[in-house]
Amino acid sequence: MTKYLKKPETGAFAAFLLTYVFFALATPGTGFVSINGTAGWLNLAAELGIVAIPVGLLMISGEFDLSIGSTVGAASMILALGTNQFGGPTWPMIVLALTAGGLIGLCNGLVVVKTKLPSFIVTLATNFIVIGATMGTSRLIANVTSSSIFASDSAKMVFAFRWGQANISILWWLLIAFIGYRVLSRTAFGNWIYATGGNEDSARAAGVPVERVKITLFVATGVAAALVGILQGIQWNSGNSTYGMGYVFQAPIVAVIGGVLLTGGYGSVVGIVFGTALFGVISSGIFYTGWNTDWIQLFLGLLLALAVLANNYVRRLALTSK
Amino acid sequence: MFSNLIKSLTVGAAVAMSSVVPAVADNDGPILVVSGPLSWPFFAAVKQGFDEGAETFGIDYQYIAVTDTSNMTSDYPRLLQQAISRNPSMLLVGEFFPDGMDPLIREATAAGIPVLIHNSGQTLWQDNGSIGFIGEDPFQMGYKAGEIQAEAGVKLGLCFNQVPGNPTVEERCNGFVAAMEAAGVETIYQTIGTGDATNPQAMTQAIKGTLQANPGIDGIYTLNAVPAMSALRAVDEVGRKGDVLIGTADLSNEALIAIKNGDLAFAMDQQPYLQGFMSMQVAFQFLNYGLQPIGHVKTGPLVIDSSNVDATLEVNKKHAGVRGAS
Repeated sequence: MTKYLKKPETGAFAAFLLTYVFFALATPGTGFVSINGTAGWLNLAAELGIVAIPVGLLMISGEFDLSIGSTVGAASMILALGTNQFGGPTWPMIVLALTAGGLIGLCNGLVVVKTKLPSFIVTLATNFIVIGATMGTSRLIANVTSSSIFASDSAKMVFAFRWGQANISILWWLLIAFIGYRVLSRTAFGNWIYATGGNEDSARAAGVPVERVKITLFVATGVAAALVGILQGIQWNSGNSTYGMGYVFQAPIVAVIGGVLLTGGYGSVVGIVFGTALFGVISSGIFYTGWNTDWIQLFLGLLLALAVLANNYVRRLALTSK
Repeated sequence: MFSNLIKSLTVGAAVAMSSVVPAVADNDGPILVVSGPLSWPFFAAVKQGFDEGAETFGIDYQYIAVTDTSNMTSDYPRLLQQAISRNPSMLLVGEFFPDGMDPLIREATAAGIPVLIHNSGQTLWQDNGSIGFIGEDPFQMGYKAGEIQAEAGVKLGLCFNQVPGNPTVEERCNGFVAAMEAAGVETIYQTIGTGDATNPQAMTQAIKGTLQANPGIDGIYTLNAVPAMSALRAVDEVGRKGDVLIGTADLSNEALIAIKNGDLAFAMDQQPYLQGFMSMQVAFQFLNYGLQPIGHVKTGPLVIDSSNVDATLEVNKKHAGVRGAS
């Protein structure tokens, strides 16, 4: 029992459960707990979750990535301009968008590792550079900052398929969660991530390729952000350079709710998944309550604070119990 | 590299100038435009109007706007202050945030800088010394949307505002609510967390939840074309497609196609391109000939519905971005 309690995800799971029960009780007869209501908050959580997992791993290794927001928008615009203005085929454009995401991550990683500047500042700069470049380029090419996407049927199948109201993005989320889980808890690379974030100098002394760990995670984050841009773009038939800007802070927030330490070295993928699910439940469920939405951010903030407190309490309880 | 770009732009403008008639008169300062963020398709169209106006009349100008839209209320007065301090030959301003911007405009006009207001500020220009106003009245725009919905028999209308705290955008909801109230129709006003203003999935789930919590809603007015698509999806997901009348402010290709398909009832076009182009025209004619329009020049709302949607879609194909969408 204590073995499970001591895992970083236990607090996140408890907080998720508490939040879910709260909204289930606060929204009687509105269908929040129905299949369609569940599909709703899962759709919301899935898109955030896909990028939150690599962001969380990066945070465990002791780094931030705030450039995800503009990478999401950039990927959707690459797909839009490629398929619309240039009339290109969908799949190569998808590969191009993912490559662009990976390259943005590579730049972040190289600059952070070579200059030793805080990644918080480096990636914040990248966030501005990428959205600026996206807007400038798309204005230059097509005189627009958002544009229709014409995706092939096979691409729609892979990125925008729906079972009832559940999006295929939920499967993508689970897939990436599974990969993240395997990597973090079953591989040497996973141990390196913890070691890098725990104490970088002793990790290096012990032979951990700290630079490679960080650069790999930055690239993974960029690719995941581009994937979200592709998913959103194909789903809404439209690219927009501002897609994803909300994720800049939502992704680290859900990682922290999920038990990742802001200082690095501690956290789990399952925890991040529950943190994201909790965020999905709150930001969707709050509208089912029918409360006056002028107060919405106040409720959101209070519920998040409560969830983190509950999470923290459970974790302390777990760590002190024998 | 950037200075090269500016140089080549200036050279380009000079070439254009020699082909058109007189250059801008005595005042040697630049023409400065303080207008909306280019990340919004709407202002991308406004800028296209400015650009093509400047080219047509052979004048040079600089477009000033925020890139980060999270602190616009305090950023815009600062941008305007900086623009005034450069002593421009003329200022073309979108007065989005009157509390901070109006005192600055008064300073500018008192110092003899001619100011022309566009897009927002329709109730203020006559008192702050500006020479005129070109744009929409957001309240009237929302009011028109409310009238259309009330006439169509809507019993409970929802106004969905994805950018709470922006007074101009909020006025559209206020107008919508006023028109509905005048017709005896009830309304609900809904906002969303600021981080989700550009996330169509989050907006869908928000509207879906509100529809579930208020089963009586049978009309939705959104303030931008992106949330309009979210509203369509949300109505579909709660199984009320066809029972809820959806209309929106502003255009996008998707919104126009939805109008064509009969899913979206209307979109309100305030013709952003005209706001930019006509501002440039007035600037040229004012600076050179001392001419100015008398009174408020209205560019909106032009209601786009099934009767005129095909023509609009056709323009979008030929001239991307001009209608504020593509």
